[in-house]
Amino acid sequence: MDIIKATNIHRTFGEGSLQAHILKGIDVTVRSGEFVAIMGKSGAGKSTLMYQLSVLDEPSQGDIEINNVCISTLTESERTAFRLTTLGYVFQNYALVPDLSAEENVMLPLLMNGYTWDKAKDRAHHSLDNVGLEGKYTNLPAELSGGEQQRVAVARALSGKPKIIFADEPTANLDSVSGTQVIDLLVRLHKDNGQTIVMVTHEREYAMDCDRIIHMEDGQVTNIEHLK
Amino acid sequence: MRALRIGFLLGFRQVQRANFWTTTLIIFVMMLTFLNLIAVSGILVGLIAGSERAVQDQSLGDIIITPLDNEEKIIQTETIRRTLDTLPEVSSYSIRYQQGAQITANYKTRRDFNIEPNEVGARVRGIDPVAENAVTALSNYVVEGEYLEPDEAGYILIGALNIDRYTAGFADITGSLTDVYPGDSVRVTINGASQEFTVKGIVDAKAGDVASLVYLPEKELRRLSNSSSRDADEIAIRLADKSPATGVAVKSILIDQGLDEFAKIRTFQEALPKFITDIKNTFNILGTFIGAVGIIVASITIFIIIFINAISRRQQIGILKGIGINRSAIEIAYVLQAAFYALMGSALGILITYGFLIGYFDANPIDFPFSDGILVAEPIGTLYRFIILFIITLFAGLIPASIIVRQNTLNSILGRK
Repeated sequence: MDIIKATNIHRTFGEGSLQAHILKGIDVTVRSGEFVAIMGKSGAGKSTLMYQLSVLDEPSQGDIEINNVCISTLTESERTAFRLTTLGYVFQNYALVPDLSAEENVMLPLLMNGYTWDKAKDRAHHSLDNVGLEGKYTNLPAELSGGEQQRVAVARALSGKPKIIFADEPTANLDSVSGTQVIDLLVRLHKDNGQTIVMVTHEREYAMDCDRIIHMEDGQVTNIEHLK
Repeated sequence: MRALRIGFLLGFRQVQRANFWTTTLIIFVMMLTFLNLIAVSGILVGLIAGSERAVQDQSLGDIIITPLDNEEKIIQTETIRRTLDTLPEVSSYSIRYQQGAQITANYKTRRDFNIEPNEVGARVRGIDPVAENAVTALSNYVVEGEYLEPDEAGYILIGALNIDRYTAGFADITGSLTDVYPGDSVRVTINGASQEFTVKGIVDAKAGDVASLVYLPEKELRRLSNSSSRDADEIAIRLADKSPATGVAVKSILIDQGLDEFAKIRTFQEALPKFITDIKNTFNILGTFIGAVGIIVASITIFIIIFINAISRRQQIGILKGIGINRSAIEIAYVLQAAFYALMGSALGILITYGFLIGYFDANPIDFPFSDGILVAEPIGTLYRFIILFIITLFAGLIPASIIVRQNTLNSILGRK
């Protein structure tokens, strides 16, 4: 079953002679439980595509349906609520709130989802344990290494049990050891929980455990590589 | 409720983790703003309040009894005196007699009759020195010489405004005596009758007419003016409790006893000269205007602080929206910060105002020509100003946060314009 169905996606920026056509009519589908990597050179449009699929941006043209919801019909607040309940994010710069401890960062979406403080805390601890951060609950992001911060971000993305996780170059700011640890973590979570994951990366070695690799160039899908 | 909980968590942690000195500086600015709101208008009003207090303490007393509009004297003064003696609320009273008089000095040494005589027209107040001192502490305002003793005769107190060295250039307008010192003789003329008195002291005070009058023992004044009537011109009453409520209550008692048929009975507030009430109202308006400017400055300060705070966390705000935290929760976080700054600043301001400034100005009033200025900060007025400041601060926090939060989520995350 397709959990993401994107049809004829265009994304342009600017107007007139300054207009840049970044995505040029992309059709993409992702099946439920699939681990998909989007690869391409810098400027290929892979991140822009991911922003459209992850409801962080609106395409200039085309339709996106996620979990049977037509995204273009949602208002801004509905899109925010949709992201909260259905999607999880891992950004390349970790995107943690610096004033909150690791556990509080993970608790944020849970509290927004209506969890009580204690339940959210238990769930956050479980998620942090799951990514190997036992005993780091009260550490501030600044007190954690880059790899650990990214694992907090993964724990936050997973804690609400979203249907899809989007990871935007999650290893970009990490050394190779930490990068491999984060990828291994995503792969393990995908295998254990059957989580749908869409990951943007430009390093092929990190995409080798995915089900499919969508190759992009100049705003278009050039090849879809099936690895499994 | 969820938004409030998350807003509180984010706001609390932002304040908690903020740089200590930055937070201290912001709270300090808020405290100064609050003080500006309270103290500036409070001192303006305090100038007049100080004047009112001086008039009450030094001249009118807590209740003042004067002749009815169609009478020259207080009728049945003795009846009123007997009634006052029975009231436990009355701690003292002074029965005053007044006459217009001509005061002449240095007449014995005047050789040249072509030059103006050294004289001044003045109102003479006949008093019982002990009773007057109990009501107005007149002896405290003797700046040269001594106060009158009970039952002594032949002495006079002269108000400083009748003496040229105290009138500071106003002598041409008011007329005044030159070279008159305690121990000198002056001649008092009332309705053609004259008597010589020795100047026992010079009286000076800022309030009302204290410094413009001339004081004689009441027996001497009645003898000089050849008046056998005991009907007085004024009765100033000092109450054991000086509060306005007691003044109103005692006035009611006096009216209930029918004394208003003999005289006009007014509390000190009712008897205040109209110009004082007018100035007080004007200063109140001025104080409110200055306070309003203070509030605008405070709200702009908070706006800038929150705007800079929010814009420096724009990416973080974008990420919060990205992971599904709704706009209200983020806005609440910044509003709570603004509320924290306003609360802390106001609390410190209140502490300083009521813990220090009011006491300080009471003990060391500002020396103005017409009054001793104090700081007036009525708790209810302070509460209103605090509420206004607080509400405006909340809006000043909400607006910039709202501006940043409404920006496109992805642009915020990526730091794009």
